[in-house]
Amino acid sequence: MARIENRIRRLRFDAGEMTQKDLAERVGVTRQTLLAIENGKYFPTLDLAFRIARCFGVGLDEVFTFHDE
Amino acid sequence: MSVSEREALSGLISMLIVAALFVWRLSGQYQAGLFDGPEALQLWARSVLQMVGVSIGIAIAVAVLTVVAQTVLTGEKPDDRRDERDHLIERRALTWGWYLLSFGLLAVIVDLALGASALRAMTLVLVLCAGSELLKDTVKLVLYRRGA
Repeated sequence: MARIENRIRRLRFDAGEMTQKDLAERVGVTRQTLLAIENGKYFPTLDLAFRIARCFGVGLDEVFTFHDE
Repeated sequence: MSVSEREALSGLISMLIVAALFVWRLSGQYQAGLFDGPEALQLWARSVLQMVGVSIGIAIAVAVLTVVAQTVLTGEKPDDRRDERDHLIERRALTWGWYLLSFGLLAVIVDLALGASALRAMTLVLVLCAGSELLKDTVKLVLYRRGA
């Protein structure tokens, strides 16, 4: 079964403890959606995934990692 | 709570109030024997139309009250943004609502074929519409609470 993990919480911390609300506003989603993504309960579209990565100035693979088990 | 989640909650509350009012009004008229005459369908339709007007008023009032309650409880201006997750949940909930409505309508047609009256069929269609809305809003709330 495939598993997708993300490092958004860590990246927010590294970006000066950016709040979920700040990041959500920057990428154009609600805080609830960002929370669901961080907790691995919702997988964003490619468009949103790229916007999150761009917000931190990193590549997509540094935000999301795919594990095929 | 996002705007879509709040709308699902207010939709659920107002639909429950409206359904209770419909049942109370129509069952009262039914027990009074008003639907026994030849103009039963016309009377039923007029009653339903009156209730539709009342329903709109109730839906607006509940929607306003939920916005006020959210503002008071959270102390923040509600976020009225909708995003891709809201659209996904909306589509999933709509699918469930349509399943109930589609299979329900098929059952009503079968009921009619077996000799049910037009009044009974119309009442069942009304119940199905309300049930479909209730199911849609319930599925939405469950999906929002689960995080998906």
